[in-house]
Amino acid sequence: MSESEEKQPRRVHLKVLGATLGAGAFAYAMAPLRAWTKDISKEQFLQKHYKELNKEELAKVITRLEAETKRDYGRDVTIKDPKPREGVEFGYALNLSVCIGCRKCAEACHVENNHDRKTNNSYIRVIEMEQGSMDMERGTTQYDHPVPAPGKFYMPVQCHQCDNAPCTKVCPVQATWKEPDGIVVVDYNWCIGCRYCEAACPYHARRFNWTKPEIPAEQINPNQGYLSNRIRPQGVVEKCTFCLHRTREGRLPACLEACPTGARVFGNLLDPDSEIRWVLEHKRVFILKEELGTRPRFFYYFDV
Amino acid sequence: MTKNSHVITYPRFIGRMVLGAFDGTWRFYVWMTALTAIALVGANAWAQQTANGMHVTSMTDHVSWGLYIANFTFGVGLAAGAVMMVIPAYLYDDHEMHDVVLIGELLAIAAISVCIGFVVVDMGRPDRLWHILPGIGRFNWPISMLTWDVLVLNGYLLLNLHIAGYLVYMRFLGKRPDKRWYLPFVFLSIGWAISIHTVTAFLYSGLGGRPFWNSALLAPRFIASAFITGPAFVIVLLQVVRRASSFRVGDGPIRTLTSVLRVTVLLNLFMLGSEVFTAFYTGGTHSTAVHYLFFGSHGRHALVPWIWSAIALNVVSAIVLHSKATRERLELLDFACFAAFAGVWIEKGMGLIIPAFVPSTLHEIVEYSPTLTEWKITAGVWAFGLMVLTLALKTALPVLTGEVSLGGRKEPDADDVPHAA
Amino acid sequence: MDALVHYGRALEPPLARGVRTDPVEANVRATVPTLFFTCLLPASFAGCGNRDQPQTFAPAPSASTMGTTRIHEPEKLWSVETGKVDALGAPLRAACVTCHTLRTPNALPDKPEDLKEFHQGMLFDHGNNRCASCHVVGAQDVLRLADGRTVPMRDAIVLCGQCHGSQLRDYKAGAHGGMNGYWDLASGDRLRNHCVDCHDPHVPRFAPSNPVLPPRDRLLGPPIPHEGGPAIPRLSPAPSGSGGHP
Repeated sequence: MSESEEKQPRRVHLKVLGATLGAGAFAYAMAPLRAWTKDISKEQFLQKHYKELNKEELAKVITRLEAETKRDYGRDVTIKDPKPREGVEFGYALNLSVCIGCRKCAEACHVENNHDRKTNNSYIRVIEMEQGSMDMERGTTQYDHPVPAPGKFYMPVQCHQCDNAPCTKVCPVQATWKEPDGIVVVDYNWCIGCRYCEAACPYHARRFNWTKPEIPAEQINPNQGYLSNRIRPQGVVEKCTFCLHRTREGRLPACLEACPTGARVFGNLLDPDSEIRWVLEHKRVFILKEELGTRPRFFYYFDV
Repeated sequence: MTKNSHVITYPRFIGRMVLGAFDGTWRFYVWMTALTAIALVGANAWAQQTANGMHVTSMTDHVSWGLYIANFTFGVGLAAGAVMMVIPAYLYDDHEMHDVVLIGELLAIAAISVCIGFVVVDMGRPDRLWHILPGIGRFNWPISMLTWDVLVLNGYLLLNLHIAGYLVYMRFLGKRPDKRWYLPFVFLSIGWAISIHTVTAFLYSGLGGRPFWNSALLAPRFIASAFITGPAFVIVLLQVVRRASSFRVGDGPIRTLTSVLRVTVLLNLFMLGSEVFTAFYTGGTHSTAVHYLFFGSHGRHALVPWIWSAIALNVVSAIVLHSKATRERLELLDFACFAAFAGVWIEKGMGLIIPAFVPSTLHEIVEYSPTLTEWKITAGVWAFGLMVLTLALKTALPVLTGEVSLGGRKEPDADDVPHAA
Repeated sequence: MDALVHYGRALEPPLARGVRTDPVEANVRATVPTLFFTCLLPASFAGCGNRDQPQTFAPAPSASTMGTTRIHEPEKLWSVETGKVDALGAPLRAACVTCHTLRTPNALPDKPEDLKEFHQGMLFDHGNNRCASCHVVGAQDVLRLADGRTVPMRDAIVLCGQCHGSQLRDYKAGAHGGMNGYWDLASGDRLRNHCVDCHDPHVPRFAPSNPVLPPRDRLLGPPIPHEGGPAIPRLSPAPSGSGGHP
């Protein structure tokens, strides 16, 4: 025992009192975390990366996720895990001569992918560009007048599923990667929410869940995929997945089906008879920000 | 096991340190209580942010990094600059510097704690921190620069903990430190300090989608500004240590650090000027971010007052540092240090992280202005760092002056010049 | 080595009691943690902890096109709006045959304003075409091509393609016109829009419509007008009309 404590037992009492008050204040300060940690089950906390889950483990995870969705949102959903198909690599083309900027693709994406309703989130942003200029600075995403407006053309932008994606390079935990069929996916249960990928993406393709998504039960799309449109938790990054829960089963993505002018063309780049190959061979195709070397799978073209 | 075996003495050493951390003057208690209060406010704000989501901050999908990463970047610079003192002490054999090098290393430890704190509060899912642990999670090394940053920052922390801890422990035991246990690490830490800030700069400068960052000059700029904040902080800290403890601080270290500061302040301004010229002379869309930062763009100008005050602070600090009066009046030097520190904080924090996101990659302008929650958490993390620094100095310095040692407490002699490692 | 000795001396505490550490022991104790870290780090990175499951694939799309591509046939090919609604509020349409089998039609007029009794209020703005360019008197369910041959209404695409060949070419290649269903025709069917689903053959130009869902991002703010001149210097008055076609 040091001298000061021998001389001043009151000091010791004061210190103990201070320490107790401090501990109490700390517990009070951290109280909001209690409810939050209750939400996180042990299985959720310890869940392995998607690539490390075998079939049984993944099935258990999916069952748990479906139960959590039912508990949190009040809707029975089916989460599937369609695998990439051999001999398939997806490509997407967009006809800038035909797009009228109606944003129905953005709305379809919003509905199909179970986005948060309050923020009107969508993976697609449509830029109204000025004719004669490809400079996005002269464009705007917030036009709200009848379209198509004279002297303008419209350029929807979504994830380009780049072959040399900056986002997959920078992720510190490998929560995002490029699948064999070309789609860049995110394991929402592995992402730590550092948002480095969001900083790295040159196309503003990624979205972060700044809050827990809120969707009324009747508006939820119950046909979900583990890597695509299941309802994401708070604090993780998400992005367009070319609707892989649809496209891996051969269906068209939601944005294409919603497009009233047929400006969107989607298909298998490895199939020489596909529509997307025809566009790439017969139209004047270009990609955005080509100088960055991202090698996207999303192509723009004009009719003339 | 002999009486002097480490199994006995090390716990005793730790015990004395812990006791020393809770014992002091009334000023010490007031200071620590105030810091604790601020830290608790920050902790509560962070708990709410984690529970309710990060929409309580002002960050958006357009400006997805904000005050936390700005302070993180600045903190790494501070940690790197703290080792500034090690260079003259060990490479140039400056004996007077040897006394105070330990203070720089303790500052580095506190600064790295601050950096780690800011990274944790910026994460969307702090419960998933284990995902980044090599071997247990998935560590995307060597491709992701963030993994390099995790390695070098934690390595730097361990390095400094070892060096400082070993030297203080040896001093506590009254033994001569074994060179093999610290000298290689000291030399390693000199290179390592440069590397932590270079790696942090590479985090940003490698992103082609952000032309504001995609410049080769970013890493040199970071080093230059690190060598402003480190010495500036240490100059003031040494004077505080002089006043608040019996640890003897000579004038030599302060003079050396001031000389360093004189050079780096000008170097930083030069590099800033170089970036500004390149952007404005070329013009075009890639310079919109710089235009937005200095003059506003399209009617949005939230960052303009920040950057101009940063420039004013840096310029004033440079002028004051180079004036003759500073050599005589310590208050002027302190003022210059505060000005330089604040100027670099703004320029490297708000003036570097935010403009890269404005305009966004689709050329939309969304502004960023931190919310109260963000300020609270930031203040909380800095308060925590100051607590770490205070406790480190409070426990280490009495060992160096000989007041605390294995042989019992002894008062420092008048002619007993205390030597730190 | 001199430097080490020199530095080491400067670091000696002045009141050292002369207790020396055993150099051998110190060396051993230094190497153990060093070895540990130099082995652990590369080991965990070098993939000796590779725990990934093997990648599985779904079968490749088969070459068969058992799925059919069907072209939608909108009601307007066979009927006109009457302006009335039924009990549920849905618009009532009258099939062409309802009237055209009961009455003998007059000759085709030059312009829709010349219609005296039926098809009142019809608008027409399709270049230099006239009613007789496409329609056949007395046969309301066929259209006439440029060489006089007739095609049924559902094959109006052929007629449109006579003048709009590039659009027909794009449509056939799947690059024009909306579609629903499957990109992989081996897995399912596809439904494609008819030309007439989107383009009114009498007034084909799209009327501008309001877009949906402008972004409602927090902090985005109102649209900012771009400063500086137009992208292309305009030496003559700007052309009017829709912007969808450059």
